[in-house]
Amino acid sequence: MAQDAAVQYEPVAEIGGGAYGTVYKARDRQSGQFVALKSVRVQTDQDGLPLSTVREVALLKRLEQFDHPNVVKLMDVCATLRTDHETKVTLVFEHVDQDLKTYLDKAPSPGLPASQIQDLMQQLMCGLAFLHSNCIIHRDLKPENILVTSRGQVKLADFGLARIYSCHMALTPVVVTLWYRAPEVLLQSTYATPVDIWSTGCIFAEMFRRKPLFCGESEVDQLGKIFEVIGLPTEEDWPTDVTLSQRNFSPFSNRPITDFVPEISHQGADLLLEMLTFDPLRRISALNALDHLYFQEG
Amino acid sequence: MIREDEFASAAATGNVEHVGMLLQDGVDVNAVNRFGRTPLQVMMMGNTAVARLLLENGANPNVSDHSTGTTPLHDAAREGFLDTVKLLIQFQADISVKDYRSRRPIDLAQENGHLNVVYFLESL
Repeated sequence: MAQDAAVQYEPVAEIGGGAYGTVYKARDRQSGQFVALKSVRVQTDQDGLPLSTVREVALLKRLEQFDHPNVVKLMDVCATLRTDHETKVTLVFEHVDQDLKTYLDKAPSPGLPASQIQDLMQQLMCGLAFLHSNCIIHRDLKPENILVTSRGQVKLADFGLARIYSCHMALTPVVVTLWYRAPEVLLQSTYATPVDIWSTGCIFAEMFRRKPLFCGESEVDQLGKIFEVIGLPTEEDWPTDVTLSQRNFSPFSNRPITDFVPEISHQGADLLLEMLTFDPLRRISALNALDHLYFQEG
Repeated sequence: MIREDEFASAAATGNVEHVGMLLQDGVDVNAVNRFGRTPLQVMMMGNTAVARLLLENGANPNVSDHSTGTTPLHDAAREGFLDTVKLLIQFQADISVKDYRSRRPIDLAQENGHLNVVYFLESL
């Protein structure tokens, strides 16, 4: 690990705060390019950094060797000793000055052409399949951390940090959006890589709608809005390890998904429903999604 | 967070609504944040809505970064955001300005292979 981030990278603005610590947009003094600095303070003892932190950082560095086109590059990792008991670990990521939210907002009416949505989705799925095959769950996919370069290249950001942070930081209460959160997360059941597929499904729908699919104001409200679209799961499908009961929700008449996502093709709608499947074990995986007929349309 | 920092952060994250709100509240469009940068200098370069809002409210497009000498036009050209390049120029950004390494915006566009930006700047 390099010793001093402060010399080479100069912060210019704060671009993220909250539970994960502060994120800065910074300039690399050598190349002149913008980077994203993400820092976490880690408790240390005479043995140095905790093994779990070293392991997580090593995993992120290992990903770099693949040079995957659809995830942001980890350019540098710096450790700065702050006190005898605390070290600041700074991860330096590639910064792309446009996110999917901006990209969707600036598309002229009536929105993105179907072929462009297909291309964005394919890139997104490739990035996700890569992370999942390396056992990384993103956990917080949303249009704000899916970056799009001026050439239309999709790059996933903010992955692999959750575990580094959660090990070593008291989580500060911050408002995080519920809109892309999978049912099993909202129900506080066990979760794995399918949570990212759910979020991607919500984003897929949003590309057509140009507004979010499920805008809940609380966990229960969010679940209610989900069931309004996908129907109320059966009692057999309901997870057993949760406190909230299926009977808290009223059954909805099953309306076709195209009522909510009007411009989507037949194959697109089929893929979307595979992604918005309540049971995470039956939800489509990123690799299988890439083989879906939707991506052969053209 | 002080208001100037909040303003710069809103511009950097492409939050058009928040930028608009702060402008309506009367915050100085050219005020610097605690890192000494104006919102236009740190804005999300691909976000033309934020760029337009700042420029229409009098943001100075010719302010240069104190450690590299680059202007917002340099950054937009390097990143290849043609719409933002056009907007900045429409609001009198200087296309011949050089950074501390004597590079013009067009040189950065060329280095990074953004030919559409190169052609546009050559056509002026």
